[in-house]
Amino acid sequence: MVAAVSVPSQAQTVLRGRLCDPAFVHSALRSSPDTNYSKLKYLVASSVSEACNNSVLLLGPRGCGKAAVVDMVLDDLRKEHPDAISVEIARQLCLEHQLSFSKMASSDDNTEFMIDMLQECGLAHKTILFVLEEFDLFAQGKQRLLYSLLDAMQSLTSQAVVIGVSCRLDADQLLEKRVRSRFSHRKLLFISPSLDDIQWLVEHLLILAKDSGLPAKYITDYNSRLTSIFSDKKFKGCLNSLMDADATTSNILRFLFRAVSYMDMESGFPSIESFLKALSSMQRQPKMDSLQDLSILELYILVCMHRLEDKEQSSYNFTSIMKEYRSIQDAYKTSDKYASTVCFRAFEHLLDRELISFGDNRGRNQALEYRPVKLLISSRELAQSLKLNTTCPVVLQKLFDRERYM
Amino acid sequence: MPTLRSATANGSLVGTPSPAAASTPRSVKRRLTPGRTGESPDASRHTSPHRFPHAGTGTVCIPKLLSASPKSSRKRLYSDLVAVEKPKWNPRDAAQMRAVKEALHVSTVPSSELVCRDNELRRVLEFCKACVEQEKAGSLYVCGCPGTGKTLSISKIKDSLVCWVDEMGMETPDSLAINCTNLANTSEIFGKILGKFQNRKKGSSKLSPLQQLQSMFSNKDSAPRRMMLVIVDEMDYLITRDRAVLHDFFMLTTCPFSRCILIGIANAIDLADRFLPKLESLNCKPLVVTFRAYSKDQISDIVKHRLKDLEYDVFEPLALEFCARKVAAASGDMRKALGVCRSAMEVLEAKLQYSPDQELGIVTFDHMDIALSKAFKSAVVDSILCLPQHQQMVLCALANTFQHCKKKATTLGELNKSYIEICRSTQVPAVGMLEFSNMCMVLSDQGFMKLGQSKEDKLRSVTLQIDRSDITFAFKGNRFFQKCLEQPRC
Repeated sequence: MVAAVSVPSQAQTVLRGRLCDPAFVHSALRSSPDTNYSKLKYLVASSVSEACNNSVLLLGPRGCGKAAVVDMVLDDLRKEHPDAISVEIARQLCLEHQLSFSKMASSDDNTEFMIDMLQECGLAHKTILFVLEEFDLFAQGKQRLLYSLLDAMQSLTSQAVVIGVSCRLDADQLLEKRVRSRFSHRKLLFISPSLDDIQWLVEHLLILAKDSGLPAKYITDYNSRLTSIFSDKKFKGCLNSLMDADATTSNILRFLFRAVSYMDMESGFPSIESFLKALSSMQRQPKMDSLQDLSILELYILVCMHRLEDKEQSSYNFTSIMKEYRSIQDAYKTSDKYASTVCFRAFEHLLDRELISFGDNRGRNQALEYRPVKLLISSRELAQSLKLNTTCPVVLQKLFDRERYM
Repeated sequence: MPTLRSATANGSLVGTPSPAAASTPRSVKRRLTPGRTGESPDASRHTSPHRFPHAGTGTVCIPKLLSASPKSSRKRLYSDLVAVEKPKWNPRDAAQMRAVKEALHVSTVPSSELVCRDNELRRVLEFCKACVEQEKAGSLYVCGCPGTGKTLSISKIKDSLVCWVDEMGMETPDSLAINCTNLANTSEIFGKILGKFQNRKKGSSKLSPLQQLQSMFSNKDSAPRRMMLVIVDEMDYLITRDRAVLHDFFMLTTCPFSRCILIGIANAIDLADRFLPKLESLNCKPLVVTFRAYSKDQISDIVKHRLKDLEYDVFEPLALEFCARKVAAASGDMRKALGVCRSAMEVLEAKLQYSPDQELGIVTFDHMDIALSKAFKSAVVDSILCLPQHQQMVLCALANTFQHCKKKATTLGELNKSYIEICRSTQVPAVGMLEFSNMCMVLSDQGFMKLGQSKEDKLRSVTLQIDRSDITFAFKGNRFFQKCLEQPRC
């Protein structure tokens, strides 16, 4: 007896499938005008129909969808012109430079072959599309391949379009003068999308259409819940903090994939918590992890340093921290009074963890106790760690005056 | 001096055009009398260039009196009689658009003479003629920036030389064109030259191709009868550390019975002086012909020459002048100028698509402005402004680090600390170390900074690859980043 797959897990599968399919992700681009997709398509289509040579560079950070746009344009062209040829020279050819040239006779033969092929195809009225990924790697060394390719395109007998894809924004500055002169100045920059575009993309990816193969009632419930999440301020804040670090499409896809995977199977619907959980799993804070592991004495030291900073002491060292520590112990008579040597060990431990550091760059001669130190964590992080530390004594929390910073 | 249009267009039809110096400026009335075809070149001098920038066959009603005169002179003659209605260019017509684009494409070789390269062509042609006449070998070095018409001119020279030799009744020289980027090994060039000389007999000799050539040129019997024109393109690929290949190549002309006319083409102006000092003592230093970068007048002349055969005006004169000025100021590269003109036409096409009822019949100054800004923009400042906020803060931290200090490199750990300082002062929560190193890798991928290799992540070296002033310029109006940048460091 086959156990029926529950509707939520079906939905999860559908969504995950969508997020992993680049064709679906970027299909929304087909409809909007004046995107890089439409510009590239116009360029290639007009070169093919007018039988003239052209070259273009696609530039943008990794993961912003350049290769996807190229694939989409190629797919469209294949449908329109079933007899057009396309050749892909991937980065492997560049890395295996030595290998491929030992198999064949010489680079001269290679380029002659390429030029002959270009001529043949030109006579047969077929256009060749060269897609050069990792274009900046081709610009290393003497750039012979690029030169031969672009030079061959200068003759009337060839019809070719060269599409270079690179993540370096100054890829055309890497070219030699003569290669750059032969390469047209056309560049398509893939800049990071605005917040509205991202919101629109997220909706496009997550909203289920009527024909997704799931029960209709589930779909309507799902869509309404999702729309309410999207208008929630916390979700917008979540997207904002994600975009502040890395605004590329692949980052958004990773985030959405995790959110879909954290979907609560009991209720069967996505919730704002799954998005927040996905965000925190992506934006890990190693410092917070190490702050949570600290001992009480170390926390005391950090709080003392913070109080000293609060008191507007511009520079302080271990000795002044000890003074502050003693004064606290005298005032509150806690059980956490330790000797100076023990405190110094804790101090060194904090230095190792890079939660504090020395404030000057010299000082090999000076003893460690007298070198100025400073905090490397913010007040907010300290407050959070005090909150999360279950064994933290109340006195410490009062000393820190936590409320100010949370 | 630009060639007279009548001379280039209908070379043999018009008789010798009357020299400009000899004619006196005529009044308007006298020009209107028909029948004086000989005066047509002078008439053209007085017509305002703005009205008729392109020659061509306009729709002029030509009276039946004049019969056998060339079209262009007819047109100029009646230029003031009849208001010439030049057909307007219709950019929506696909055939017309295609014709214009083809005329402006880089790979289109103008079938008539090249303009603006007369001096250089003359010098090279005279040199080749002298070599062929005296049956002596010689070498020539052509240099200039990319896009100045070197390869094009030399291939035209080849044809002109063959024509002239045929006229003089001498033996036609062979020619061989080699592009040095295709050579796997620099000494292969001699093999190629040898292969051309020995068409059939491919003897399996123990000597290297160079030695075979040298022995061939030293004996009167084995020396070939015909001259050989060897054109070597991108000659700087032949430069090796000991410069042996280059020396041997040029020294082929010193052999007593050598038959080669060597023409080398490269970009470096001082190649002969820097790499071939020995040649001067041996008295076989090549003649140097420099192809200077195009000036703005030359660029507009060349574009107009290309569009000459079309009947209509494609560019507004101001637009063309603007393009020529900008390109000449930047590099004087003709390919770039042609590319910009084509891209201006694409801007016009795009505008036509969006506003179907507007009457746009010409490429205006605005279209050219857009095309030029696209061609000459630097992506750096724009892309800095498009980065996410944290990455921009990392760039600020990096700029701060190098502000006062003389050192050029820092480590990832130090950069992290300054980044955290900035975050603390601006009350922005900093990202963790893992994400920070990811962001730095993204920035280095894009070419803003360079990360070195190290065993430990924190010890990787970081250098700034862009100009620090670009960062300050990009954040000029932004108060938040001004605060980040002002931090005193070091």
